[in-house]
Amino acid sequence: MHNYLDNPASLKIDLMLRGIRMEDPVVKAWACGCSGIDMLLPQDTLVNIPCMEEFTRNSPYTVKRAGERYFITDGRAEVEVKLVERPAFYSRKTTSGVQFSEIASVHGSYTVITPSPRCDFFNRSIECRYCAGNFDVKGSSDVVYTIEDILETVEAVLKEKASEVIYLSIGFSQGDDGGIAFLKPYIQAIKKSFNCLVAVEALPPRDNRWIDETYAMGADSVLYNLEIFDKELFELICPGRASLVGRKRYLESLKYAAKVFPNGTVASHLIVGLEPPGSTCMGIDCFTDMGVVPILPIYRPSAGKALRIEPLTTEIILPVYKHLYNAVKKNGINLSWVRDISMVTTPAEIRGLVDGGKGGTLMESFYKSRIGLKAAWGLSTIRRKLRVVGSDDSDPSKH
Amino acid sequence: MTQTLRNTDAGVLCVSLQIDTRPIWLILAIKCLRPVFFLVLASLFLYFIWMPAPVGLSIEGQRAIAVFLLCLVLWVSNAIPLAITGILAIVLVPVLGILPNKVTYSLFGNEAVFFILGAFILAGAVMHSGISNRLALYILDRFGGSPRGLLITVFLLAAALSFIMSEHAVAAMLFPIVIEISKSLGLKPGKSNYGKLLFFSMAWGCIIGGVATFLGGARVPLAVGILKETTGSQIGFLDYSIAVFPLVVILLFAGYMLLTRIFPIDITGVEEAHGVLKKRLKALGKLSFSEYSVGAVLAITVFAWIVLGEKFGLAAIALASVVALFVFRMVRWKDIEEYVNWGIILMYGGAIVLGSALDKSGAAKWLVGMAIGDWASEPWAAFALFSFLSILLTAAMSNAAVIAVLLPVSIGMAQTLSIDPVMLTYAIAVPAGLDFMFPMGTPAIAIAASSNYITVKESAKGGFVMFVAAWVVFNLVAAFWWPLIGMGYR
Repeated sequence: MHNYLDNPASLKIDLMLRGIRMEDPVVKAWACGCSGIDMLLPQDTLVNIPCMEEFTRNSPYTVKRAGERYFITDGRAEVEVKLVERPAFYSRKTTSGVQFSEIASVHGSYTVITPSPRCDFFNRSIECRYCAGNFDVKGSSDVVYTIEDILETVEAVLKEKASEVIYLSIGFSQGDDGGIAFLKPYIQAIKKSFNCLVAVEALPPRDNRWIDETYAMGADSVLYNLEIFDKELFELICPGRASLVGRKRYLESLKYAAKVFPNGTVASHLIVGLEPPGSTCMGIDCFTDMGVVPILPIYRPSAGKALRIEPLTTEIILPVYKHLYNAVKKNGINLSWVRDISMVTTPAEIRGLVDGGKGGTLMESFYKSRIGLKAAWGLSTIRRKLRVVGSDDSDPSKH
Repeated sequence: MTQTLRNTDAGVLCVSLQIDTRPIWLILAIKCLRPVFFLVLASLFLYFIWMPAPVGLSIEGQRAIAVFLLCLVLWVSNAIPLAITGILAIVLVPVLGILPNKVTYSLFGNEAVFFILGAFILAGAVMHSGISNRLALYILDRFGGSPRGLLITVFLLAAALSFIMSEHAVAAMLFPIVIEISKSLGLKPGKSNYGKLLFFSMAWGCIIGGVATFLGGARVPLAVGILKETTGSQIGFLDYSIAVFPLVVILLFAGYMLLTRIFPIDITGVEEAHGVLKKRLKALGKLSFSEYSVGAVLAITVFAWIVLGEKFGLAAIALASVVALFVFRMVRWKDIEEYVNWGIILMYGGAIVLGSALDKSGAAKWLVGMAIGDWASEPWAAFALFSFLSILLTAAMSNAAVIAVLLPVSIGMAQTLSIDPVMLTYAIAVPAGLDFMFPMGTPAIAIAASSNYITVKESAKGGFVMFVAAWVVFNLVAAFWWPLIGMGYR
């Protein structure tokens, strides 16, 4: 059996893949019934570890407590970790009575907010076969949070310093805009009210002008998640995305967005485990050549989903992540944006695995600091002012 | 939770939006140009203000020249709106002690400014009533029976309407009609010779017709205003039109000949166009009371300008007609508000102040003696030089700005060369309206070019020949026609 405890990046991957057993009652109480628990591994590596799923029963890892200190052990060695507190605002409600935790989910430096937890792919039975995300699997609900609800949530997040980046996401909705028209008032309202960075996850729009619009309206980062690079597997596993958007359009949009948005702020998910590792590596090369950051979540079969693919092992996955780091470095992609996310292992976290270095670069450390965050927001705003030409409607500062 | 996914007005795509993807350092450098430009301009301005005054030039004169040069750069570069440069002149002249406050602001109450205001309102009422549109459609339908006939009608109609309305307004009014004619004839944008001919005829007709009277644009009233303010001399409505009449006729003929040579007519019939014109005429219905009454007021006003202009002043007659329009409820204020170009009025106010400052401080005279005197020692040479400068500058800048820049200097030169300042006013005011080449100097060309039937390159090519022809003909008219009607260089 391999020992992954020595390196936080490999430990993060292994923990995400195998989960953790929680035998200590205090740790169980900490998890609060959530499917995953956030922990801080050495070198400030944040991870969300599955702890309730069926497969976690076979995990070699357990959390043990020694006084006020916590350790993860595989039975042979151990490493000290910190438990990450659940954000206090989760338990509170908006003025209209919506639980904040229903609207927002903190994942380290990102807080994911889904103004409409609905995805029309489900209505047509063409949803992504692995999807058990935060979208309404029935596809029938018309729940749409108001701008006021979202603003209150963002305020709560920022007041508590839970995250620095607000990540707005939307499932599939009809229209040529990929969902940006729907997100626009939210983005503009957030930008008008708060000095924070906003990332947007949407579908690729039919027209590149919507990508311009996305940038102009205040989005600092954009994600068009292809999820699977292999063409045939993509069509098989993501029938909705394949038929209504198309793989080609994903790649075109990402390429165009990488020209519009700053270096390192355009990203796309490639789920590790849904296709052969070689195919994922090809996707990594394709994305990084375009200036797009590949983000590699790890596939775990979810209970109740038809798709059941045997997950890969850490030994197989690690070279893929190393390839990711090398490709990102080779193409000079900025790593300051995609960092400290509990749900995925970021390229910056892999650095230690590849070149043995510890911690981030000076620039990455700067952007993690409070002054660095202010600088990132300021530079992003100035950059937008300089780049956007002829926009009165879209400039968030004018609303 | 009151919103729905589809109930959003945010779905409208801003088509005008663009993302500049050039390197950020390049964008920054370009953005820095503007502040650097203003910084350099301000530094030079202060240098001119503080440097020792040259021999023969008063402190006030030196400052007036500094303000003049500042406004010259701003008017030519269009770095700020023309009107704002005008306001800057009004601010700087009293602040720098060139003219007293009271005098400066009283210059804004110049007759020319109010004549322009009255002309704008009258033109607005004419356009709003629809009579100009009806007249245009009727004439085109009545006289344009063949391709050649239709072309000549468009040319002459644009010119004739520009006798009584601003040439820009005429171009804007005729544009949709000419577009519809072109479409009905199946003329392909950028390819059809006849399409090019129609739009060039419209634009050139407006330009040539625009110099025929005081009403073709605001530049002649402005020039007359500056002349009156600095010398006390006047130019009458009819006197002006008689003086330029041969120029207008010759240029119309030359323009038509040139256009049909460059773009030979390539269609044989215009029946389809008549269908469109008849349809549009029918849609207008019968002549309304508003059209009758506004048309009558305009006719009376023009008559009064010709007969009573010298006695009562052009501005008084224009404003009296404006009052009549409102007394008899022929038009409402909000109907004509959009037609009044307040920016031009402010710009003219500033230009008149600047002209007066240059004159009263002695700066204009000094400037001319230093810069132009040796180049134009004879009256005819001065006339030719200033008319050339005027027609040249108007290709690059607004024709009103040309008047503001050149006229005060030329009037300053008049006494030195023993030339009649009225002549020099003509030398500047007429050629300033004769830009046939570029869209930036003439809105009529810009409007025509926006049709995609003609290109800027084609406009520059044909316009250059007309540019030379216009200058030569203008000087010949001055040399041979004006003596016949009692005008001379001295």
